[in-house]
Parts: sequence; C-alpha cells; structure tokens
Amino acid sequence: MSASVIFEPLQFRNLTVKNRVFRSSLAGRFNNYDGTGTRVHINWDLKFARGGVGAIISSNAPVHPRGLIVPNYAHIDRDETIPFWRELVQRVHEYDCRYIVQLAFSGRQRDLGGIQYEKGWSSTDKEEPVHGLACERMTIPQIKELVQRFADAARRAREAGADGIEIHGCNGYLITQFLSPAVNDRKDEYGGSLSNRARFPLEIVRAIRAEVGSDFHLQFKITGVDYGDDLFFWWSKGTKIDDSIQVCKWLEEAGVDGFHVSSGNSFPHPRNPAGDFPVHDVVRGYDTMISSGSHTFRNYLIFRYWPFNAIFRWLWRRPSRGGVEGINLQDARAIKEEVSVPVICTGGFQTASVVAGAIERGDCDGVTIGRPLIANNNLVELWRSGVDRPERPCTYSNKCLINQIENPLGCYEESRFDSHEAMVSEILSVFEPPQFASP
Amino acid sequence: MSTSAIFEPLRLPNLTIKNRILRSSTGGRWDAYDGSGTQTRINWDLKTARGRVGAIISSHAPVHPRGRLLPGYALIDRDDRVPFWRELVRRVHEYDCKYIVQLAHAGRERIIGGFEYPTGVSSTDEPEPLNGFRCERLTTDGIAQVIAEFAAGARRAREAGADGVELAGANGVLFTQFLSSAINDRDDEYGGSLENRARFALEVVRAVRAEVGKDFFLGFKISIREHLDEILPWLDEGNSRDESLQVCKWLEEAGVDCIHVSTGGEFPHPRNPAGDFPTKEVVKTYDGLISNGMYTFRNYLVFRWWPLNAIWKWHWEKPSRKGVEGINLEDARAVKEAVRIPVICTGGFQTASVIAEAIETGACDGVTMARSLIANPDLVRWFERGHDRAPRPCTYCNKCLFNFVENPLGCYDDRRFDSRDEMIREILSVYEPVPEPVAA
Repeated sequence: MSASVIFEPLQFRNLTVKNRVFRSSLAGRFNNYDGTGTRVHINWDLKFARGGVGAIISSNAPVHPRGLIVPNYAHIDRDETIPFWRELVQRVHEYDCRYIVQLAFSGRQRDLGGIQYEKGWSSTDKEEPVHGLACERMTIPQIKELVQRFADAARRAREAGADGIEIHGCNGYLITQFLSPAVNDRKDEYGGSLSNRARFPLEIVRAIRAEVGSDFHLQFKITGVDYGDDLFFWWSKGTKIDDSIQVCKWLEEAGVDGFHVSSGNSFPHPRNPAGDFPVHDVVRGYDTMISSGSHTFRNYLIFRYWPFNAIFRWLWRRPSRGGVEGINLQDARAIKEEVSVPVICTGGFQTASVVAGAIERGDCDGVTIGRPLIANNNLVELWRSGVDRPERPCTYSNKCLINQIENPLGCYEESRFDSHEAMVSEILSVFEPPQFASP
Repeated sequence: MSTSAIFEPLRLPNLTIKNRILRSSTGGRWDAYDGSGTQTRINWDLKTARGRVGAIISSHAPVHPRGRLLPGYALIDRDDRVPFWRELVRRVHEYDCKYIVQLAHAGRERIIGGFEYPTGVSSTDEPEPLNGFRCERLTTDGIAQVIAEFAAGARRAREAGADGVELAGANGVLFTQFLSSAINDRDDEYGGSLENRARFALEVVRAVRAEVGKDFFLGFKISIREHLDEILPWLDEGNSRDESLQVCKWLEEAGVDCIHVSTGGEFPHPRNPAGDFPTKEVVKTYDGLISNGMYTFRNYLVFRWWPLNAIWKWHWEKPSRKGVEGINLEDARAVKEAVRIPVICTGGFQTASVIAEAIETGACDGVTMARSLIANPDLVRWFERGHDRAPRPCTYCNKCLFNFVENPLGCYDDRRFDSRDEMIREILSVYEPVPEPVAA
C-alpha cells in the first residue's frame, strides 16, 4: 500500500498542515516550577519539528496554576508567559511545522499538585478514584471565571503567533469530569442531562471564539468512550460513543474546527497510552506520588509486591491485548461519520501502511503520535524514505510515561539501544544547547 | 555589646571579603537535570548578594555527574559549563559580593541518584547506613580520576571569574567517606591510619594547587566531629576532634587558605542543620526517596506512623536541644587554636551579638549561614540598621530542608508570614525575572 496519502496536506477551516502527522501533546517536566518556560522545552519540541511532523500540539499548558497536572510544565496563565511561547513558536516555524497550544486544566486529576493549591477543582467534590486525589466542587462563579481563563489563554496563544489551540477535553481531566456521567454528580445546570454536562466545554468554546474570533484554528480533544470499567468491572462505564458524537455535533456548531479522538476517563488508562504496565519502573517512579492522594500508599504496596503487581499488570494489559496501534480508530470513525470537520486520532501509530490505511478508509483525516515519536523522533522522515516501520520501533513499554515524574522524558526502553550509555546520552540530548552557552 | 566586628573586612589569604558573613552552600533544584545552570539559580544567589552578605559559597557543584547529591544542581564537570558560572559570578559581583564555588562529590551520599549511574562511588562498598544508598569502592585509578576531576573543576571556577573554591569536605560526602574512621574500611594507602585516610583530601588539595596556582582562594569545609552514633546508636561515632585537628594542620600545610567548620558525618544530621525534625513535611517529600535506598522504605514507614515517628523525632532533636545557634563554635575554637589560617563556622547564626562575640573571643573569623538567610535574605541589612535579630527569625523548623527535594527551596514556616499566600509568593519570587528566551 502506498503511504503517499500521509504526505498530503490536511486542510482545516483556519489551518493547513503540510502532512497528516501531528505530534500529540507530550512533554517532560522541563520548565520551572512556577510554569515559566525554559530553553529545554524549546529543545524538546524542536526534536519533532526537525523530524518532519506537520504540526506539534504543545504539552498541556495550564490556563491557571491550579490546573496543573504536575509542576514544571509551561503555563499560559498570564501575559508574562507570552514571550516564551512566541520564541517557541518561532523556532518551530523554522521547520515549516505548525504549532498548536493545548489549553488544559487538570481538575482533580493532579498527580503532583504542588505547593500553591492544596486541592484541585472539579465538577464534584468526590476524590479521584485511582489515587484518591482530593478536590473541591466548583461553584458557578468559579466555572464562569475558568471559562474566561480559557479564553484569555487562547488570546495569549494567538498573540504568541501560534497557529491554533487545542482544548484538552479528554483523559479524565476537568472537561471529562464535567462530561462524564461517571464523575459529574451536579444537580445544577452543569450536571445531570448530557446537554447540562456539555455546557462547560461549550461555554469555553464560545468564550474563546468571542475572544479570538472565528479565524483562528480551534480543535477539541475528546475521549470517544470513557471505558471506565476497563480495569475494574464494578466501576461505572461512563460516557459511551453516542453521547460523545452528540457532544461533538454541539461543539462543531459552537465553532470547533476539528476533533482529536482519544479514549479513557483517567490518565493513564489501560487504553491510553495502551501497552505495558512496567512494574519495575512504576515502583521507582510512583513513590513520589505517595503523598498526593488517599489511595496512593495502597497502590504503591500493590505495585511493589507480588502477586498483587502481577495481577494488576494483567488487568492493565487486557484492553490492549488486541493490539495497540490504532486502538481508537473505531471511535474516531464513529465521530467522523457524524461531523463535517476533520478528525484526527491518537493511539500508538508508527506504521506508515496502518496510518495510510486509516486515512484512506476514512477512519480519520490524520494521526497524532506520542510515544512512537519519543522512540523515533524522525519517524516521519523514515516513512518518507520508504520505511514502513522503524527498525527499532516503540515497544509500548510505557517506561517513558512513568519515568517522566522523576527523570527527563525520553525513551527508557534499554532494549532499543546498543547500551545503557547510548540510552542515557539520547535522553540527555534534550538539554543541548544549554541556556547559557559560549557566544 | 558592639557588633562592629561583623562589619570589619575578613582578610583571607588570596581573598578579602567586605564583612564577616558568608552565605553557606545552599541551593534548590533550580537547574536542568543534566546539570546545566539556569536563570533561576542566578536569581536565587542574587537574593542574598542583594542582602549584603560578604561572600556567597555556591550550591554544591559536582565535579562529575556521578558525584551529585541529587539532580537539578549546576555541575562544573565540563568546560561548556563555564559560561553559566561566568554569568552567575558577574551578576553577584555587581553587588560587591565575592563568589566561591563549592566543588563537591557526593560519593555514596546520593539522596536521589538519578537514572544515569545506578550506584555511587566511595572509599568503601558498604551502603550508606541510614538510607542504604549503594556504592562501589573506588579503585586507586578511580581515586586518581576523581582527584583530576576536582582539579579541573577548580580551573573552571577560576576561568569563570570566581573568587575562590571551597572543597566540600564535610557532612558525609566523599571526603568524609575517606576521612572517617567509621566509614573508610580500606586496607590500601587510602585507608587505615589517619594519615592514609587523609591522603585523598590532601592529594586533591595539592592537585588543585598545581592546577590553579597559589594565588587563588582555596577553602576546605570539614566536619570536626561526625557524631554518627547520634543518627543510629549502633554506629561508631567517627573521627575524634583531635584527629580532625590533625587533618586541618595537614590541610594548611598542603595549601588550604581557610577551614570552614561544620559537623556531622551524614547529611542531614541532628546537628546540621540542627533543629526540628518536621515529621509532616518529611512524610510528604521522603516518599520520593523510597526507590533510592535499601532502608528508605523502612524509614518511610517510621516517619509515617505514630509512635515510631514521635520516637524518631525525639531522638533526632536531642543533640540540638541545648541550642542551635553557634552549635559548632567549640569545635571552631579548637581548630582556630590548632591552625594559623582563618576559620569560618556554620551553625544557625542569626543574632548579631552572638556572631560578634564569637569573632571577638577568637572562636572564628567569620560565620556562614544557610537557613537564616533563606528566612531573611536581607539579614545583614538588619544588622547594619542596629537590629540584633531580624523581626521574624528563622525558627530552625527545617521545613526548607525537607521541601526542597520536591518543591522550590524557600522558607516553608507559615508562622513567619502573614498568610500562606504570602509565603507562596515569597517562595516563587525566585523565578523573577523570567529567563530570557534564548535564540540560537
């Protein structure tokens, strides 16, 4: 099968991307604790711009420090952050690569909440169920305030010269906490019926449109299906595809230019990033989170001790046993059939023929990639040179994911390298060049 | 009592400092994981330079990545680190403040070892006793390599325009691991007798002198007493004071310009930084260390659960119950009597009259401060205006110490602030100004 469709431009209403490959939102803790951006973050994104992706979706950029997931990500919460984003966008543009800022708010899903705010905000006041992360139920004035903060952040992204924004509406973060019937227990106009649960994201979209106009690219990342019962059958299933399709229709009416389909109502989730549960690495990285929640110590013991960790790993891997690559294509197709704007899809893509097949079948218009690009920064260039799959593909070991809590984000799958030293040197290459270098 | 002694210049060999107050080595995890320096570290050091201390001793600057205590500190292990240090020194000099780079090697005392090197190196292959940090015994060749790394680090500091270097020889890091009779179990020429245990430190001093010459300030920080039995009662206490005094004499002969007196054969230690064991903060941040050592999970459970944590707290706070400020002055006085070079001393100083008296009675020539300056970066200004103490002194609660592993270093004692929000603002002020985006 020809992979040429991958290299055809993708046209959105307000944005044209040179090919069908986006780097999905991902980054390590490369910035300052207070959310100011650093040179290292720029180095990180340039790796992928250089590697030939058509567009980069930024790491989650909290619109307010209360909405961070872990500290040390670049925020877009105040005007002083604009020069950093401007510099980053300008450098990425040098590679004819588009830059989309992902506006985010974690809600109750704050893996390391940091020193500023003891609790996150959510639709509910119930703890997040996996780690037991505490939260406060947002009042209506707080909801209105946050809607405006999304709009302000969108304005900053535009002022910084970004090519568009993505609203982080999936994976268990705040917008999922409103959309999902498994989480949202409100009795007011933001809870109950689907239209009430969708009110918050719709208000965000309208507020952003009011702030930045209709000629600025705005895409929405959504969880097609919550799969809330993937790990434990007694947990509520949450949002099903029909509800998500309806929400997408409303979002399109409100002014969304594209959808980015993911899955799961938590992060991480057995389907996202789908693959292994690397017990050894988890035990090393999860310890830092013990102080974050009320279930974290229990979880740590489960991850630490056999046979609990073996059972957990078995449960975790079950949903992706049918295959990781393209795990969300069915959901993407279901949404694509019902909306008229382009749909892009995430989920382990790293084989040119699989990607080209998905686009040609009409499952999606483009793909977004996280882990396989960490493993092979130049994946798109490889495809262009005729390679269907890299010689050393991503193994979906998820070691990158768990290491990023304590260590620089990178590929920690040693089997992909000639030696430990080669792996270390590749991981540390993100620090070149340093902020203070010889003139 | 007049406190004018504090404001007399401190004339050290090769270096004159405008007053008697130095900032001791203090720094958070401001830098990139790989050890490249950031604007934030410059901001941090400028806080105290602006507060009119006479000199700043840098955060521990590892001469090799394997020798860092934890990631996030600026290294001085390669020539391409020099531009960062040069910029830092230049900015500190704008405040008529001297800058001394502390050359360090953690040895086995790696609080967070990082992913590059699974183990540290040491004089021994026995793990560190409190947390169980693993290590490999250095070979003679390995020792020669570390000595060369220190010499190269000193050369880089001089190239960066620093006013001197200090060798981090105290508090349980690699130098202590060689010096200590309780740790060093070698049977070659680097172990056994005191002379043998001191060989590594003396060879580093000579190598640094050979590299940078005689006209560059070179200090040595040493724990006069290790008091290892105060951490775990079944440990040997370590070197006696007389043994350490002998080491100081040898260091002087080898070319050291100043002795910096500290205490404790581990870091942290009940006497350094002396004061509280803030159980609640420890539980919040020690969790991240669980994967680093053989005994860290056990320790975590002790810190987490009553009554174990109450017993540990009582045990930890015992040595400092008689008082924190000036806890090392007796040791400093003994060193001062034993050597001719100047002696500076650390240990909770924050009262002008206490400092002035220590200097006037000949216990030391100057003092170094860490926590007191975290609480009040402008402490010297308070002294200049005639205050004996800052209105909101450091409480020695040690919350700064235990927060910095996970959070930005700063004062976390909210009783010292009008509100929690004010405390957070003060902590986050280190990120101002925002680093300039740097174009290639």
